[in-house]
Amino acid sequence: MDLLLDSFRSAFLLLLSCDHELLVIVSCSLKVSGMATLLAALIGLPLGFVISFTTFPGKRLVITCLNTLLALPTVVIGLVVYSFLSRRGVLGVLDLLYTQTAMVIGQIILIVPVITVMTIAAINRIDTRYRLTALTLGANRYQAAWLIFKEARFGVIAAVIAAFGRVIAEIGISMMLGGNAKGFTRTMTTAMALEYDKGEFVLAVALGIILMGFAFGINILFHVVQGRSDAL
Amino acid sequence: MLYELKEVTRVHGRRTILDIPSLAVPAGKIYSLIGPNGAGKTTLLHLLAFLDAPSTGRISFRSSPVRYSERSLLPLRRQVVLLDQYPILFTGAVWKNLDFGLKVRKIERKKRKILIEEALAQVGMEDFFHAQAQTLSGGETKRVALARALVVRPRVLLCDEPTANVDAENLGVILDILERANRENGISVIFATHSHSQARRMSRHSLIMKDGRLSDLPRDNVFMATVVGQAENRVVCSLQNDIRIRVPVSGAFAGARNIRLFLNPDHLHFTREPGTCRGPANLLPGTVAIIAAENDRIRLTVDIGLSVHLFLSLPEYSRISPAVGERAFVLIDDKAITIE
Repeated sequence: MDLLLDSFRSAFLLLLSCDHELLVIVSCSLKVSGMATLLAALIGLPLGFVISFTTFPGKRLVITCLNTLLALPTVVIGLVVYSFLSRRGVLGVLDLLYTQTAMVIGQIILIVPVITVMTIAAINRIDTRYRLTALTLGANRYQAAWLIFKEARFGVIAAVIAAFGRVIAEIGISMMLGGNAKGFTRTMTTAMALEYDKGEFVLAVALGIILMGFAFGINILFHVVQGRSDAL
Repeated sequence: MLYELKEVTRVHGRRTILDIPSLAVPAGKIYSLIGPNGAGKTTLLHLLAFLDAPSTGRISFRSSPVRYSERSLLPLRRQVVLLDQYPILFTGAVWKNLDFGLKVRKIERKKRKILIEEALAQVGMEDFFHAQAQTLSGGETKRVALARALVVRPRVLLCDEPTANVDAENLGVILDILERANRENGISVIFATHSHSQARRMSRHSLIMKDGRLSDLPRDNVFMATVVGQAENRVVCSLQNDIRIRVPVSGAFAGARNIRLFLNPDHLHFTREPGTCRGPANLLPGTVAIIAAENDRIRLTVDIGLSVHLFLSLPEYSRISPAVGERAFVLIDDKAITIE
């Protein structure tokens, strides 16, 4: 118990002192996860939108596959992307392994299904009368679709927030594709794992506090967004 | 003709929910679409609003056949607006709801604002310009939805039970708005309703629907009855409040115990003299409840324990001069009674 209390005390002092190494790790995490979320949103939102609005053979199968991908372990993604980016891999010439770009690629694969599935759910929740009303008021199908997208915006924002929460806390991809290089690819989760291995709990606990702070902030944001969605 | 339908059907799965061999609706009128739930009113309105395509058959709009491609439908939809039974307003301010239809028609901003203000004034909601749509009551929502439909100046306004779940105050307002839209702006109005009185008040033209088909029979005077006895080519039927009617049948009655009786208003007679009843016809005492002019005749609603409607010609009405509250008799000819 003393160990834990001491670690907490030291961690708070570290946070208050704005330790340089700590800031580098946090900024790396935010940069990689932020970029991955942004790019995944650019892929997942239109994809979810198109799947919701179109009918095609095998649509249910596609949705089932996307739902299955929600349970994809990060180490599996790490392994697959590694096999492509390693020197012997088909994309080995790009020399991306153990870079932030590789981490971003892995994290995009992790959260595109999250954003897509949640976007589909958010759009499907919108009453069909919105579409019919838009059409009868003279909208073309794109204008009607845009209206529905706007009505579903809180659900869509919640999807992006949830996806960010998923990537900021993952470790498998960051470790396998980033390599945990200090100052370059060391994120909060990989740093925590390393500090734990070294038996140095102070930085690990400090990072844990920050990570939990982020998680708490994301959840508050999530509930605020959902609350507005319900209230309106 | 505004609409012409030929051999139009709409099929869901294996069930035909609409089957209209022929229908012509002229422009500039108010038409009521009367029928019970599941009669196909909403399905027909969706076809007329070009939101659905018929499974078979042809629909013409303003003498041109309708082609069901996105490009062909858009200009048609911009002439016809459907007001849903339970309209939804888009999230945001009331004015933004009205702005939607104008914006997609690329009307310039200044003109849009003027049109929105006019439309809100038309439905008595001008004070709600900046109000949030989700804060409105049911009646206010309907009025704003009506303004949203009228602001785009449609050629046709289709209303699916516009007064469903609306209080008496809003009901009168909504019906007035529809009448004015027709009278002052020349908008053709087709509205679905369960209410015969609304249909009578609003329109000279009614389309009666039953089981997805147009019916010739008016739906006034249709009652559930129970067969309680049989004698001499007649069955005795008990209606609501134990009102007994002897119904002519040929031979032994082999029908169901519970039946629907239709008393054709054109063959019911109003009389003050019970002695005028000869033979086995039914004579039921009652009180005159409503007297209303309807087209070129007078509709009398008589309370005999349930409301029965009958018609008097204008000379007949002048001669008899019935008064509301007067006790009298309804004479039911045999030919007035149909078992459905």
